[in-house]
Amino acid sequence: MRTLLFFCAILISIVIYFGLLEFLTYVGKGETLGPTLGPVIGYFILSKLLEMLFMALFFMLLFSSIISALSFLFLDEELSTLMASPTKIITIFRSRFILMTIDSSWMTMIFFAPVFLAFATAMRAEALSYLLFILFLCLFVLLPNICGAGTAVLLSSFFPVRQMRKVFQFLSILVLTGLVFFIRSLEAEKLLNTKHFEKVSDYLLSIQLPLSAYSPSVLIHQSSMHLFNGNLKAAFSNIFPLIIILVFGLLALNILASKYYRSAWQFSLEALDNQILGMEWLRKILIWPLKYFKRDFKVIAEKEITTFLRDPAVFSQIFMMGAIILVYAYNLSILPLKDIPSFYSKSTNNALVFLNGPFIGFIISAISMRFVYPSISMEGRAFWSVKSSPISPQRIMFIKFTLYLFPMLVLSLILCTITNTLFEVSHSYMLWLSYFNVIMITFVVTSLAIGVGTVFANFSADSALKISGSYGGFIFMILSGLYIINLIILELYPMYRTTFFKNNLDLGYASPSLFWINIIIIFVCTASWIYIPFKKGLNAINAYEPD
Amino acid sequence: MNRTEPIIRFTNIQKKYGDFAALKPINLEIFKGELFGFLGPNGAGKTTLIRILTGIIKATGGTVSIGGFSLEKEPESAKRMLGYVPDRPYLYEKLSPLEYFDFMGGLYNVKQSEITSIGEKLLKLFDLWNKRNDLIESFSHGMKQKVAMSAANLHKPDILVVDEPTVGLDPKSVKLAKQFFKDMTLEGKTIFLTTHTLSVAEDLCDRIAIIRSGEIAAIGTLEELQTKASMPNNNLEDIFLKITEEENLPKAII
Repeated sequence: MRTLLFFCAILISIVIYFGLLEFLTYVGKGETLGPTLGPVIGYFILSKLLEMLFMALFFMLLFSSIISALSFLFLDEELSTLMASPTKIITIFRSRFILMTIDSSWMTMIFFAPVFLAFATAMRAEALSYLLFILFLCLFVLLPNICGAGTAVLLSSFFPVRQMRKVFQFLSILVLTGLVFFIRSLEAEKLLNTKHFEKVSDYLLSIQLPLSAYSPSVLIHQSSMHLFNGNLKAAFSNIFPLIIILVFGLLALNILASKYYRSAWQFSLEALDNQILGMEWLRKILIWPLKYFKRDFKVIAEKEITTFLRDPAVFSQIFMMGAIILVYAYNLSILPLKDIPSFYSKSTNNALVFLNGPFIGFIISAISMRFVYPSISMEGRAFWSVKSSPISPQRIMFIKFTLYLFPMLVLSLILCTITNTLFEVSHSYMLWLSYFNVIMITFVVTSLAIGVGTVFANFSADSALKISGSYGGFIFMILSGLYIINLIILELYPMYRTTFFKNNLDLGYASPSLFWINIIIIFVCTASWIYIPFKKGLNAINAYEPD
Repeated sequence: MNRTEPIIRFTNIQKKYGDFAALKPINLEIFKGELFGFLGPNGAGKTTLIRILTGIIKATGGTVSIGGFSLEKEPESAKRMLGYVPDRPYLYEKLSPLEYFDFMGGLYNVKQSEITSIGEKLLKLFDLWNKRNDLIESFSHGMKQKVAMSAANLHKPDILVVDEPTVGLDPKSVKLAKQFFKDMTLEGKTIFLTTHTLSVAEDLCDRIAIIRSGEIAAIGTLEELQTKASMPNNNLEDIFLKITEEENLPKAII
């Protein structure tokens, strides 16, 4: 099973690599702008895209590293043993820092690897450049982790980590602000819209300007561009400031850790007197309707809602997810379709609606990874109380599935309605298809999250963040992606047929049957995608033997 | 105690982890109203047997019958007869004791009014009533143990399975717990407990089984064990050490 999933991951990476390479090669040539100007502007656009990518990577790693730092530097159970040992505090800190850096970065780097490779190949980089790029990337990855660890140590000196609500609320606001700033600073829409520039020179100037002059991503971006062009000297001279920053950063982190790490860790053990804070009113509202449900459903759902609202590490992620949704809606609202009359038509909008379903699917998957996937693991070591009770494992999984399916469905339908409104979708078939897609995707993604979350359950993990960032979380995302691709591929034929219906082309005798066979295959496939992970999870939960 | 009516029956129960046999085939009957003690050195298989009994882990072979219900074929009915207090009371840390009672009571389909009244009675008994709305995460090991013990009794089980009941409890709570177990057996309930505190077993248990390397080495009342060990005037500690052969350990280690 693991080997199969590994090969699926490799396959997806290859698809991303070749798909992106094709796109980047096309953009790089700039054929529509003529043989002289085309490659010049194409090169600048590639450069700009790479810069955006580095900036996105920096933000993602920064947030991920702060979360990992809180977990690895403060919440791990083995820290008590380490702190009680005669090991130097700085040695403990350094070992934990290495672990947190690997934990916070590996998944992001795996996702970004085929993307960076595609850029390097599109720019015809030499073999040595690939090797050096890996080295540069490692240096770049270190910086957000230094910032993350430093921030965590500083914050933990003022806020008790075990009552992380305030810390995470603070972090969430920071990230939200950072994301909004980031999105605004990109102004990606201007690259497609010549209306914003009076002259070609303005456009070229705009596209060449770095997003933020003092951002560390600019340093890695510029050195990478030189690297891909074969100018090693310029590449090294551009990466040099980053190395200086890293050296100073590591020194500062060492000083910070020697001075504050032990006291911050000790402070993290303290509990607040008033433990149930704030959200009680919301909890009461949310659990109120449960009184109309069956008893076992009611108590399990109440427990899930209560622990969710009282665990700041889980609850605060709502802010981050909210930011992702906002950014998605914002991106759609600024799509400059109507500014390109030759491209824009109602059909374009309808086609985009078809692609919008999978995008919503990815958002739902990301949210499920954070909230649904850890739900079985979050039973933690208290799982014995459920396993020794008369409730069957099947019932537990079914209750969890139903419980999470409802809010995920509501969210996906809201997202679908908002985006359909933004696209001004006119074709009723496409409108209903978009709703059908998000409903199918939500059912499968929820089942996958519960099933894969059970197969890879980690009942001893100290935080939901660690659970969702684990190998199993990665597998869940890959499988969700595979289902979405599966659904789209299966829908291509019916889509094709309906387009032909519309244009009154010859259907042939076999077409209606093929159309319906295709629809049946979609349902059978979807049912299998729901059933198999659920069944696998059930087998795993039956075989699981709690400590 | 009614010795004709076994309420728990283990038939050829065994548990293997790869080639290692944690439990060799065990046959054991525990009777209604009995307070049964299960003793043994560390790693002998006590907790493994208890976890099989409570349905937390599956036996590699053999059958378990609880109150006439087969644990394999009718797990829901069999488990409904049990209340379980584990040796390490891992509970839902973000719930208060009352919320935890609601949860556990709900799993056993106990009426809300009963959960409230029994929960209040037990929390008062164990001196935790003033902590009823605090989160369990702030509780000590002993306090969690008392919450777990209270929760295990919400559905008035016929059988209470207790793994190391006195670990982490203060002397007052140990006395309370012992009295609590005695009262339960007077009501006709059965108690199956494991302990390393041999004085507790000596004080409380009607019958005692001693397990060694996954096998039952001896079983019977204290008097029967004394006879079997040919130590008529010795206490349980001496008998236990003889049966488990720990008396041959070097003196420096003992």
